[in-house]
Amino acid sequence: MSTTQMLKGIIDGCILAIIHEKEIYGYELAEKLEQYGFDSFSEGTIYPLLLRMQKEELIVSTLKKSTAGPKRKYYSLTQKGEEELQQFISRWSKLQSSVNSVLPLK
Amino acid sequence: MMVDLSRKSQSFLENLRLYLISSGKEEKEIHSIVEELEDHLIEAEARGKTVDHIVGDSPKEYMKQLSNEMNTNTSSLFKVIMIILFGALSFSILTNAGKDELSYSLLEMIGTVAVSLVLILSIGSVFKYMAAANLSKRKEYALYYLMGMLPIVLFVGLIYLNRLIETPIFTFGRYGTMIAVIVTLGFLIGLSFWSKTWVVLIMLALLVLPDYLLTFIDVQPSTEVVLSSSITFGGIAIYLLLTHRMTKQQSN
Repeated sequence: MSTTQMLKGIIDGCILAIIHEKEIYGYELAEKLEQYGFDSFSEGTIYPLLLRMQKEELIVSTLKKSTAGPKRKYYSLTQKGEEELQQFISRWSKLQSSVNSVLPLK
Repeated sequence: MMVDLSRKSQSFLENLRLYLISSGKEEKEIHSIVEELEDHLIEAEARGKTVDHIVGDSPKEYMKQLSNEMNTNTSSLFKVIMIILFGALSFSILTNAGKDELSYSLLEMIGTVAVSLVLILSIGSVFKYMAAANLSKRKEYALYYLMGMLPIVLFVGLIYLNRLIETPIFTFGRYGTMIAVIVTLGFLIGLSFWSKTWVVLIMLALLVLPDYLLTFIDVQPSTEVVLSSSITFGGIAIYLLLTHRMTKQQSN
């Protein structure tokens, strides 16, 4: 199984966590993900995900003026998004401890 | 569009827009995602990344991913199809009615509708294919050429088929023709209000009126042809120029 496939269920939660920290725009988000070590997928992948998360009402976008010129789209979490993030955190910590106990190296 | 974006990125954005439009997506959503990606690409290129780094190995796959997450605007797709279909029908009715009483064979009526639908569908899918396939310029021109030929081939084919096969002919008579013209005009005006665009009416007026009005003026047939076509094309040119200016002002 490739990293990209493994990431599929997890990346949404990570994006929610990053947006939870502060309001953020697309490029910033892609850069943050790369800094955290998610460098196996192309940057543009976040946009279809962001579109879907907006449709699911986990995040909302607002247009704000940027210093560089055109208006920029900033994303923030909705109440539903906050709840989803909390659920993701508890699901992940359970999954993580299960996987860790199965694997011989710790 | 910013000038400092590389040509490859620019053509990717243009292709994406075309792909999403021919997939029948909402105009606002298309504008919003293209603008967001443009912003991303500008920033990424300033840091030395290429469009491949953003989009991945397959632009087509990426366009599909985006398209899957966007709302399809069936009503606007339907609008476009209706405008083209009834625009073609009204054009035929109004030009023929200007000359003589209307008469259509069954084959002509069904054939015109069928040909228009085939044209709309094939042009739509060719645009979608071209946007994603990243073809060479030569292949692109070849496809444009074929697309330009398609309506001519289909309509000429229909005319010949109509001569070969006899089907019942519907003649409208003098009053029937007048009623057909009035119904067509009423329909067109309704369509224009519904779609909030006057393009069909204006184009039709420019195509039909010069011919019709010139029959009242005593000029030589050759002068008439030149006059009517120059009024038509001049009018269309002026109309396109004006709407272009207006949309430009609106976006500023």
